[in-house]
Amino acid sequence: MKGLILKDLYMTAKYCKAHLLIIAASIGISLFVSNVIFIFYPCLMSGIVPMTLLSYDERSKWSEYCGTMPISAAQIVSTKYIIGLICSFCVLILSGTAQEVKMNHDGVFQLGDWLNLLAMLLIMSCVAVAVTLPFIFRFGVEKGRIAYYLTIAIACGVNFAASDVINFNTDAPVLLNVVYLILCIIAVAIYALSWYLSIVFYKKRLIK
Amino acid sequence: MNALEIKGLSKSFGSFKLDNLNLTLPSGCIMGLIGENGAGKSTTIKLILDILHKYIGTITILGRDNQDNINLTKEDVGVVLDEVGIPDCLTANQVGKIMRYTFKNWNDGVYANHLKKLSVPTDKPFKDFSRGMKMKLGIAIAMSHESKLLLLDEATSGLDPVVRDEVVEMLNDFTRDENHSVLISSHIVSDLEKLCDYIAFLHKGKLLLCEEKDRLLGEYGIIHCSANQLSMLDSKAVLHKKESAYGAEAIVLRNAVPSGMNISPVSIEELFMFMVKGVE
Repeated sequence: MKGLILKDLYMTAKYCKAHLLIIAASIGISLFVSNVIFIFYPCLMSGIVPMTLLSYDERSKWSEYCGTMPISAAQIVSTKYIIGLICSFCVLILSGTAQEVKMNHDGVFQLGDWLNLLAMLLIMSCVAVAVTLPFIFRFGVEKGRIAYYLTIAIACGVNFAASDVINFNTDAPVLLNVVYLILCIIAVAIYALSWYLSIVFYKKRLIK
Repeated sequence: MNALEIKGLSKSFGSFKLDNLNLTLPSGCIMGLIGENGAGKSTTIKLILDILHKYIGTITILGRDNQDNINLTKEDVGVVLDEVGIPDCLTANQVGKIMRYTFKNWNDGVYANHLKKLSVPTDKPFKDFSRGMKMKLGIAIAMSHESKLLLLDEATSGLDPVVRDEVVEMLNDFTRDENHSVLISSHIVSDLEKLCDYIAFLHKGKLLLCEEKDRLLGEYGIIHCSANQLSMLDSKAVLHKKESAYGAEAIVLRNAVPSGMNISPVSIEELFMFMVKGVE
């Protein structure tokens, strides 16, 4: 699987430059603008990376070539989830650091708020990848893409509805809000379930 | 030991049916799988590699059933597909690094030698390669992990004669080791004629014949005569005939033709064409 990850890293560096630029720009803008969309948009963008890689794999017939090598379906699927995790982790670190700097600069930094924000970023990143990939592994890239855009629409709707409710400047009585903690656990569970389902779907798709 | 044994292989999807295929490729030999587009050549190769499933029959690769830990078997099998399958942005150097972590027996030195021998650029992205270069890279990969069996699907199609000759030479070198074997499919018969020890004709999913090439060429011949002379021959001697106002042409069994007749050597391509038309 190391070979597959290395291949995906090469491809990410080549094909996902625009994604990385948008992520960097969003994080940069989030330092100066209070709209939460710029904080969360990089998470959604990081979810596009595995999908883009799968799209190029399909186009170059790499998926078929993989069938001739000692590589299992589970390894092929897992590689994309690992790439998703790497991207999400990078976004989490960069966005989290940027927001810490901003909160400190504005004099409103509270550890509890910051942890809650990190939790939200983690949830968004996990869900973005988890919702898209099973569709792609079951139906192919084109139909999977539709699922992804639906996810973005739903996430934006939820974000819009929740923006009045979530206030990062409240005096949180506990370090990490229990609700966020539970949501994080659910998001990670969704990610794991999605990973499993993708393996099942991809194996089914291979059986012709 | 046989490198490949296929027994009673049948697989159908849609209107296509691969019907009761039986093939044996002895170690140290090159077998050409000849058939028109859609004859079932790629299907056969995919079934061998267990990329396609749900079939009837048995497939044994290098003495191991292909249903028994196929990934272990794939370590010993080098494959070149019609479209190779390397992502466009990757260079030959990057592909080498990827394969190092993919095949247990990957050999960087052998890979570098093949690239050099075949004049494959190491730092140019795959998308800028010509079809010939792409195939050469595919072949270099297939031969750099101590493969004992090479499966080449239309690997010579679309190559210019110079590259084709280089490929033929490489495959001949490869089979100098008696543990190495090659199954190569093509619809261009002339490519395989000079390369193969065994020839298998596949037509519309059915195996028309599978024989040693030299035996085929020794057994069959072509005669040009009048329609009247042709009608005097034993019907069992004539494999297929073509008659026109100017005379007749027929593929015949050399042993069953009277000794006075002038029999010309038949090429594999002619034999294939006559056999396919005979079936139709």
